[in-house]
Parts: sequence; C-alpha cells; structure tokens
Amino acid sequence: MGPLIPNGVIPIEWDNIIAILIGIVFGFVLEASGFSSSRKLAGLFYGYDFAVLKVFFTAAVVSLIGVYYMDYLGYLDITQLYVHPLYLWGAIIGGIIMGVGFVAGGFCPGTSLCAVAIGKIDAMVYVAGIMVGIFIFSELYPLFQPIYEGYFYGNVTLEDSLGINPYWFVFIFSMIAIVAFVVSDMVTKKVKKIFY
Amino acid sequence: MKELEKTKRISIAATLFILAVIIGLLTYKRPKNVYAINTKDTLEKITSENYYLTLEELKNPDYVLIDIRNQYEFEKGHLENAINIYASEILSDDNTNVFDELKESKKTAVLYGNNPQEVNASFLILYQLGYDNIKLLAIENSYLQNKLISKKVVIEKSEADVTAFINESVKKANTVETVKVVVAPPKKVITVEKKKKAAAEGGC
Amino acid sequence: MVKKKIAKVLAFRYKILAAILILLAGGLVLLPKYQKHEGIKPEELVSHAMSPERYMTTDRLAHILINQDPSFILIDVRDEKSFASYTLPNAINIPLEKLFDEDSESYLNQNQFDVVLFSNDNFHADQAWILCNRLGYKNLRVLKGGINQWFTTIINPLKPEENMPAAAHELYATRKAASMFFGVVYPEQVKVEAPKIVKEAPKKVITVEKKKKAAAEGGC
Repeated sequence: MGPLIPNGVIPIEWDNIIAILIGIVFGFVLEASGFSSSRKLAGLFYGYDFAVLKVFFTAAVVSLIGVYYMDYLGYLDITQLYVHPLYLWGAIIGGIIMGVGFVAGGFCPGTSLCAVAIGKIDAMVYVAGIMVGIFIFSELYPLFQPIYEGYFYGNVTLEDSLGINPYWFVFIFSMIAIVAFVVSDMVTKKVKKIFY
Repeated sequence: MKELEKTKRISIAATLFILAVIIGLLTYKRPKNVYAINTKDTLEKITSENYYLTLEELKNPDYVLIDIRNQYEFEKGHLENAINIYASEILSDDNTNVFDELKESKKTAVLYGNNPQEVNASFLILYQLGYDNIKLLAIENSYLQNKLISKKVVIEKSEADVTAFINESVKKANTVETVKVVVAPPKKVITVEKKKKAAAEGGC
Repeated sequence: MVKKKIAKVLAFRYKILAAILILLAGGLVLLPKYQKHEGIKPEELVSHAMSPERYMTTDRLAHILINQDPSFILIDVRDEKSFASYTLPNAINIPLEKLFDEDSESYLNQNQFDVVLFSNDNFHADQAWILCNRLGYKNLRVLKGGINQWFTTIINPLKPEENMPAAAHELYATRKAASMFFGVVYPEQVKVEAPKIVKEAPKKVITVEKKKKAAAEGGC
C-alpha cells in the first residue's frame, strides 16, 4: 500500500499541503520538547541536559521499528522509501560546520525557526546568519562544487554498507539507544544542576 | 504533580504505538496468492524449459485439459474432457483450488484457448505463482460450421522473410526500370541513462 | 490508594518503556520471515493482462513510424539472428533472455517513452510484457500479431476484391502506401515515376532522462 504518494494513493499535488501539516506538527513537537531554548540545546554539549539526544533518538528508534513492522505486514514497501544519497566529504565537512554553529549559537536550523516564532531575539540573529551563510555558499558555489557533488556513494543505508540483517540492525540500534539513555541519565545526575 | 502530567502524555503515546502494532499484527492476513518465483528465475525457466504440448502428446492420462476461453465459446465446442476456467477468473478461490488439487495429485494441467497467445498470460501468471505442473497446448481452434477444429501451430514461427520479400519487390520493379533504390531506414541512436531513485529529501 | 499504586508503577516508567522497546525490536528479529512479494499483486496482473489496451495494432504502429513519432521506442525481443535479418525501423534488440539485463532496464523502466514490444507473433513479446508489468513498469505495449501480422497487413497487404466495401479499399490504399514507405516497390509505381529515394534522416539522438521527481530539500 505505502508509501502513499509514490504509489498514487495520495496524488502528488498534495505534496505541499502535507509538507505544511507535517511542518506544523514538527514545530509543535520541537517547541513542546523545549527545543526553542538555546540553553537546552547547548546542554547536550555541556552535559547538563540530554533532552535533544533523547527526543531525536527516541523518534528515530520508534519510527524505525514502526516502519519495519509496517513493511513486514505489507502496509509499506521499504524499498520504495527515499534514501538520502551519500556525498561523503560534503557530509563530513558540512556536518562539522553545522556542529560548530550548533554549539556556538545553540540552535539548529529547525529549532531556530521555532524560536523565532516565539519571539527570541538571539534566534532572529541566528536566522539572519543562516541567510548570510546561504548567500555566501551560493556565490562561491563553483568553488565548492567538486566537494558538494563529489565522493558520491549512492543511496546507501547502514544495513547495506555493513551487510547485516536489517532486523538485527533495528534490534542493536534500539539497544544502543537504551544504553545511551541510561548513560545520559547517569551523567545528568553527576553534573551540577544548572537552572536556566 | 507536574512530572506526572508529562508522564501521562508519554504513556498515552506509548500505549497508542503498541496498540497500533498489535492491531496491525492481528488484522494481518497473508495474501492468498503469492508469487513463488521471482521474475528473473521465471524468465530463465521460460526461456530454457519446454512447456508446450502438441495434440499428439495429449494421450497421457495425467494430463487434464483446461479451457481458458469464456463459457460461451466453451459450450460452443471444446476438446474432450476439458474443464472450463475463464482466463480472467483463474485466481478465484474455486479455480485456484482446482489447480492446487491437480498439483497435489501430480497431474499436469494443460491450458488451451483459441490460440497459444491467448493462453500465454494465464499460463505465465499461474507459473509465477508456483504451479509448475502447467503446460500449454500449442493449437489453434477455429469453427467450421459450428464444429471445433483444432490445428497444430508452431509458436513464434517466422511466417515470412520480410527482407526477402522487400528485396524481391525491388528486384521485380528494377527489371522494368533500373533505378537504384536506396532504402536505408533512418537510424536512431537512443541513449539511456540509468534511472536514479528519486524521492523527497529530508533532514532532521 | 489507587493513586499511590499508580505512582509506584510510574516510578518505573522509563524502565517499562525501555522494556517495551526491547520487546518490539526483539519481536522484529523473531518474527517468521517469508519471501517478500516482488511486484504487483497477482490479481492486478491478471486484470492488466486481460485488458485489450496493452496491444497495439500494426496499422497504428505503421502510422506512428511514418510520422516518426519521437515518443515511441520499439523493442525486438527475438534473438539476434532474426533481428539481423529483419526488424522494424529503429527497433532495439533485447532478446527475451536478456530482458532483465542492466542495460535493458533503462529502456523498459522509464516514463519518457512509450515502448512497443514485438516478436514474430506476440507470444514472446507477451511474456516480456507480463514479466515487466509484474515489476510495475509503465508505458509498455505489445504489437498485436508481431512481425507476422506486420507482414500480412502492412508489408504485403491483401488486395480486396472488387465487390468489397469501400472501407476495405481505403484500408488497402493506406496499407499499400505504408508498405512503400517501408521499402516495398510496386511495379506500377516504377512506371509512373522513378522510385523515390528515401533520404536518410539525420541521426536522432534520444536521451532517456532519468526519472527524477523534483526533490524537496529539507533540514532541521
């Protein structure tokens, strides 16, 4: 049956409307988890608040398990799902830059917009910075193009590249998640409480 | 108390998730007709194995004739001892039961229709569903004064040499007037790129 | 009292959630595995196969070829030998055995062109069509009757009797004209005028573009 749009259950014209709906829900969850506070986000790096890790890891694990159950039951065809293409060095360099910006500014692009929506001034500055960054990147695109489009490894998934049974992968991944949660809880208990 | 409030939300979400999985598992029904072999293997088998039968080979008592034409044509005239299963209904419960029984009793179902081409689709679909006890009768049926006449045909026989015919016609014409005819069909070069999977991109 | 009990249970809430997670993930590993369905449902395949729309008549194909409609690709599923001896103009040879080779897939699984499959009659072309349709390939058609029908209707059309209806004569005229296009020369044609030399059309390069949907970008 699924995925719904590629299989024509939902016409492709609904793309944008669905995107808006999902965007609203996503923004709501971000705000509800307290992610529009840059202190909370930065807490992950300083070790006093692991909410970011918990929320995103839980979301990943729950959807992973859900998707595999749906695939097993025939409601979804996992092979038709979109797999993000891997541009190795582009991803590594981009990831580092994004990480530095994340720690320094205390926002990731999505949460910064959330914070703008609730009127945070630091977030507005942050978004302006993003715009400047995009502008510079676009202007210097010819320079970056070899890295941006090079080192292409196709639409690979971890299961493909590791060559392990996807079901076992899901299981191991969930175990890692649980271990990460336990460890992060222990760390928060050790670290001095910071009120923010 | 505030902490408990939050817990409530988590429990509700968790319960809903588990419920969804359980309902999915309970309502799950395996599809009745499942392909037994994939397309690659099918292709390999149909290009290497012989699955035709001719009228003479029909004598074997293990062969059960199945007429895939519609009921009207079946009643108008059919081969002896044939069962009528209309092509578009081959996957209905009753009919798959027939095939299952035949498979169990190690009999071979021999499909036939007005011509082999007509039977082709039904044959291939059943074949892919794992009924390997199926053959195809290479005959052509026609009616002569309401009597069914079955004629042997060879499948995929080239009936005429088209190049020879065209050359012949050119030659004949050229004996009248010798004008060189250049017939060179325009060559089209078709280059294809491999299809790339595309879908919506996403991020965190 | 009840509230206290609930509070007691809820003290373990994270452990309970973790246990559920392990249970579900473990269940996935332990579930019995079965061969996954490849392609569309058999029931769908039957209804597609019964539809007469999947055929193309020889007259229609002749029309397409004469007009050099660029949206069509012809695929010859016979073996190389038959392909070499005669084939339709601009046809590509994909013998049935090689149907699922990597090179073939790009011709068959695309949505840019209409593909017409043909063989001597439509038996092998039909088989190719069914296998491809099961995989969900779109825009495929089969030449009804194949090369044999092509020969009897287009290349060597039967001259209608004098007393046959006008439509038959018209059809014959069209088919005869078509056959001339495909290289057959009639004696009377030569008497009237010198045989037209078919000019070699410039080589057309058709690029099958990859099926790419507009990809929406995203990020967090």
